[in-house]
Amino acid sequence: MCNFLEYKDTKVVYRRYASLFFIAATDPTDNELITLEIVHRYVEQMDKYYGNVCELDIIFNFQKAYFILDELLLAGEMQESSKKNVLRVIGAQDGLEEMEGTEDVEDRLRKTGII
Amino acid sequence: MATAAAAMFNRGGGSKDNTMRGLVSFIADLRNARARELEEKRINKELANIRQKFKQGGLSGYDKKKYVCKLLYIYILGWNVDFGHLEAVNLISATKYSEKQIGYLAVTLFLHEEHELLHLVVNSIRKDLADHNELNNCLALHAIANVGSKEMGEAICGDVHRLLISPTSKPFVKKKAALTLLRLYRKVPTIIQPEWNERMIAIMDDPDMGVALSVTSLVMTLAQDDPDQYKGAYVKAAQRLRKVIIDHEYSGDYVYYKVPCPWLQVKLLRLLQYFAPSEDTHIRQLIRDSLQVILDNAMEMPKNVQQNNAQNAVLFEAINLIIHLDTERDLMVQISSKLGKFIGSRETNVRYLGLEAMTHLAVRAETLDPIKKHQDIIIGSLRDRDITVRRQGLDLLYSMCDSTNSQKIVHELLKYLQTADYAIREEMVLKIAILTEKYATDVKWYVDISMRLIAMAGDHVSDEVWQRIIQIVTNNDELQVYAAQNILQYCKADHCHETLVKIGSYILGEFGHLIADNSGCSPIEQFMALQAKFNSCSPNTRAMILSAFVKFINLFPEIKPQLLEAFRTYSHSLDSELQQRACEYLTLATMQTDDLLRTICDEMPPFPERASALLSRLDKKQGSVGDKRTWSVTGKEGLPSLDRSATLKRNFSAGQTAIMNGVTNGSSGANGTNGTKGTNSTNSTNGMVKSPIEELAGLDLLGGAPNLASASHLSPDWEPGYNRCLLAPEGVLYEDFQISVGLRSEYRQDVGCIILYFKNKATVPIQSFTTTLDNTSPEHLKVDIKSLPETSVHSGAQTQQMIMFEAKGPFAEPPTIRVSYMAGSLQALTLKLPVALHKYMEGAVLNSDDFFKRWKQIGGPPREAQKIFQGFDVSSSNTRRLLNGFKWGVLDGVDPNAKNFVGATVLHTTGGKFGCLLRLEPNTENKMYRLTIRATDEAVPPVLMKFMQERLTQPWPS
Repeated sequence: MCNFLEYKDTKVVYRRYASLFFIAATDPTDNELITLEIVHRYVEQMDKYYGNVCELDIIFNFQKAYFILDELLLAGEMQESSKKNVLRVIGAQDGLEEMEGTEDVEDRLRKTGII
Repeated sequence: MATAAAAMFNRGGGSKDNTMRGLVSFIADLRNARARELEEKRINKELANIRQKFKQGGLSGYDKKKYVCKLLYIYILGWNVDFGHLEAVNLISATKYSEKQIGYLAVTLFLHEEHELLHLVVNSIRKDLADHNELNNCLALHAIANVGSKEMGEAICGDVHRLLISPTSKPFVKKKAALTLLRLYRKVPTIIQPEWNERMIAIMDDPDMGVALSVTSLVMTLAQDDPDQYKGAYVKAAQRLRKVIIDHEYSGDYVYYKVPCPWLQVKLLRLLQYFAPSEDTHIRQLIRDSLQVILDNAMEMPKNVQQNNAQNAVLFEAINLIIHLDTERDLMVQISSKLGKFIGSRETNVRYLGLEAMTHLAVRAETLDPIKKHQDIIIGSLRDRDITVRRQGLDLLYSMCDSTNSQKIVHELLKYLQTADYAIREEMVLKIAILTEKYATDVKWYVDISMRLIAMAGDHVSDEVWQRIIQIVTNNDELQVYAAQNILQYCKADHCHETLVKIGSYILGEFGHLIADNSGCSPIEQFMALQAKFNSCSPNTRAMILSAFVKFINLFPEIKPQLLEAFRTYSHSLDSELQQRACEYLTLATMQTDDLLRTICDEMPPFPERASALLSRLDKKQGSVGDKRTWSVTGKEGLPSLDRSATLKRNFSAGQTAIMNGVTNGSSGANGTNGTKGTNSTNSTNGMVKSPIEELAGLDLLGGAPNLASASHLSPDWEPGYNRCLLAPEGVLYEDFQISVGLRSEYRQDVGCIILYFKNKATVPIQSFTTTLDNTSPEHLKVDIKSLPETSVHSGAQTQQMIMFEAKGPFAEPPTIRVSYMAGSLQALTLKLPVALHKYMEGAVLNSDDFFKRWKQIGGPPREAQKIFQGFDVSSSNTRRLLNGFKWGVLDGVDPNAKNFVGATVLHTTGGKFGCLLRLEPNTENKMYRLTIRATDEAVPPVLMKFMQERLTQPWPS
C-alpha cells in the first residue's frame, strides 16, 4: 500500500506501527518520503524516552508525547533530527520537574506536620 | 485492568515519581469504560467535580495542573470542554516549570489563534521570552509557533528575532526562534524587517545542524516570496549541500540510517529550486557535483526501510532540482533511466513518486521522448492496485500526451474510465475532453470520441464538457453533418444518457436539416427520437428539446402538425418554464407569417472566442497551492494544455501538417495541433508568471530591502584603497582592525581576473563569511565567480576568492562587493572593485603621422570629449605617472609642444576593439589641464573622461 494519499488540498502521509496509526497532513508539494521519516523519528524518539514504547505509554503520558513532538517539529517543520539533542532537552525538563516534585512533597509533609 | 495499566505506565522512563495519581486513575477508569455511555458518565462526573473545585478556588498549583491535565485528556478524546480555559491561562504564569508547561500545552490545545483569551497570554509569553531560563524561552516559542496570531506576531516578533540572532542564544533556542518566526511570517508577512535578511541568511552557515536546518526552512519560505532579496541564500545552500554531501561535514548524531542529515539535504535542494538557475560556472559546478554524488549513492538499494526512504527522499528532491535546472544533459539522461525503473518498482511508494517526478519532467522537459519510452508501463499504472498510484498515472498520461500518442492515450483513458474510481471520474472526463479537442486531427475521431465519452461517463460529465462539444461543432462546418448523424443514432437507441439528449437537441435543431435526406434521418425520425426521450428527462433537457422542436418547425414544414401537437400537449405542463416555452413556441409557429419564426430560428452565429472553460475548470479543480516552485499539470507556460485562449475554430482538414506541427511543437512544448493560432500564452496558474498588475503590486516604491551590495551602501572607508587599486594591478583594497582585503589582478584582452585575499586580523575566528557581488551593467560586464571564500576564517588566517570579469562593451560603473561575516555580531562592508574600463586598455605606440591621421579620422564630437579643469599636481612627472596608471601609451615627440602629452591605447572588449587617442595640455601657471579624448566609439570618451578627471584633480593615492 502507498503511504501517501491525496486528499483535497493536502497530502496525507501515514504509517502504521502495530495497532497505532501516525498520520501527517502536508502541502501537496512537500517531500513525502522525508515526512514519512519524520514520523519514524518521532516513534524512535518516544521509544528511546519511554523505553520500548507502547500505546499505553502514550495514553498515560500523553503530555510527554506532546512535549517530545514540540522538540521535533515546530511550525510544521522538522526542527531537530538528533535523538541525543532532543533527549537532552526533555531530560532537562524532567530534571526541573523532579526537583519541583520533591519540593511539593516536602511542602505537603510540612503542612501535615510530619517534618 | 486499571492497576495493570497504571503499572504499565509506571514502567515508563523519565520522572516516575511526579505522576499525577489522580490523572492516572482517571485515565484508567475511562479505558475500563466498555460502552460509550459509561465513558460519558465517568466524564460528566469528573467535569462536575473539576468545575466545583475550580469554583471553590484556593487550589494548589499541583491540583490546578492535575485538573487541567484531566480536562486536556477529555478534550483530546473528542469531548467538548467549555470551562477551565482561564485556569489553563493562569497556569502559564506559575513559577514552577511543570505547571507552566502544562499551562502552555493547554493553551495550545484549547485555544485557537482567533480565541479571545489569547491576548491574555501575550504578556506572559513576552515575559518568558525574556526569561534567563532557556526552557521558559522554549515554552513561549512553542506556544507562538502553535497558535501565534497576527496580533501576537506584531507584539512579539521583535523578541523572537532577538532570540534568533543574539550571540548568547543557545542553539536549541535559536532553532525554535527561527521556526517561530516562520510561523509568524506566514501569518503576517510584513513582520519580517527587510534589514534582517543578511543576518538570517548568514545563520545558514551555523555549525549546529539543527539551527542550520531551521534557518534554512525560514529563509526558504522567505525566498519563495522574494527571491531577489534572498539571493545570497542560493550560494549558501549550494555550499552547504556540498559540505554535507562531498566534504562530509556533519556530526554523527545527524546521520540518519547512514544518510547524512536527509532533512537538511532535502531543504537545501528545495531552496535551490526557488531561484532561477545560477549563471555562474563555479556555483553550477558546486551543485552539479553534489547532484552527481546523490545519483551515484542511489545506485544501491538499501534493504533497511528507513535508509531506503531517506535516501530516496533526497534523490527525488535532487531529481526535481535537475528538472528545474533543465540544462544538465548528463544528469537528465541519468534520471530518465532511473525514473523508468522507479515506475516499475515493487514498492508502491516508489512507483508513485516515480510517476510524480515523471509528470514534473513531462511538464518541464523539452522532449517527451524519454517518457514515451515507458508509455506501456504508465498506461499499466491505471490498473495499479493502489488508488494514489492510479491517480498519478492519470496525471502523467495527461501531461505526456502529444499528437503522436494522443489516440492511444485517449483510447486507454476511455477504457479505464469505465472502471475508474468514482472520485476521479469527473476529472478524467475533463482531461479526456481536453485531449480529444486538442489533438483532434480528423472529424470522425473527434466526434466519435466525444460522443463515446459522454455516453460512457454519464453522470460524471460536467456542463462545461458537453457545452464545449456543441461550441466546437457549431464553429466548425466540417463537423456538423457527421456530428448530427452520430448523435441521432445515440438518441434513437433505447438507452441514451440525458447529456447526449441535450447535445442531440441542440445539434439536430441547428444541423438536422443537413442530414434530412439520409436514410434513417428523415425529419420525422429525428422528431420521434427526441420526443421518445422527453418523459425520462429533467426539466432543463425538456426545455432544450422544445427549443429543438421550434427550430424543426422552421426547418421541416412537413412535420409541422406533429410538432404543433407536441407544443399543445406541453402547454399544459405543470412546470411553468416548460408551459411558457410551449405556449410561446406554439404562438410563434401559428402566426400568420413566419417572418418572426425565421428570424428567431435563424442559424446560430459561431460562438465568440473565449478561454476554454474546460481548462479553467481543471485549474479550479487543482486549486492553487502556495508553493512558488509548483508546476501544475495545466500550467506549463501555456502548455501542454491548449492554448489558453483556445480558439473554437479548428483546422481539421490540415491533419497532415497538424501532426507535423505536433511533433515539433510537442517537443518544444507549444500548442499541439492547433494550427490557427500560434501564440504561446504565458498565462500560468501558479504565479510563476505575473500579470502586469501583479508586477506592479509587487513593486514597493517605499520599502523593500535595500540592496546592501550596491554602490549606494558603500562603507565609509572604501575610497582610498579603491583609488590605489584603480591605478595599479595590486594593492590593499580595504583594511580595518578586524579584516584586510588585498587585491591582485591581471587583465588579458577583454578578460580580467581578480583575486581577493581576505585576512582575519581579529583574535577570534569569524564565521559565515559571505561575499555578494553587485554589477550594475551586466550587459556590458560579465561576472563569473571562479571560487568562493571559506565560510569560516580563523584568527590570522586568510581566505581568497577569484572572480573573472569579461568586458563585453564599454561600461561606465565598476561592480561593488558586499563582504559580511559574523564576529559576535554581524559585520559587513560594501566596497567598490577597481574594475574600470581603462583596465581593459593596452597602450599603443604610434608615430606622429599615424597619430594625427587617426586623430582626424575620428574627428570631433560625439566621438570626442573635452574638458578644462583644475589639476592637483600638473607637474610632468606626476602627469606621466597618472597616464601610465590609466594604461595609455604616452607618445613622446608627437605633439609640437613638448609640455603636452599625447597618448594612444586600444580598449579590448568582447564586442570589439576600440582605438583611443588622448591629448592632455597642462597649464603650469594656472595649474589647469585641458583633456581631450577621442575614441572610435562614442560611448568610450565620456567614461574615460570621468575617471581621469577625478584622478587628475586629486593627489596621487597613497
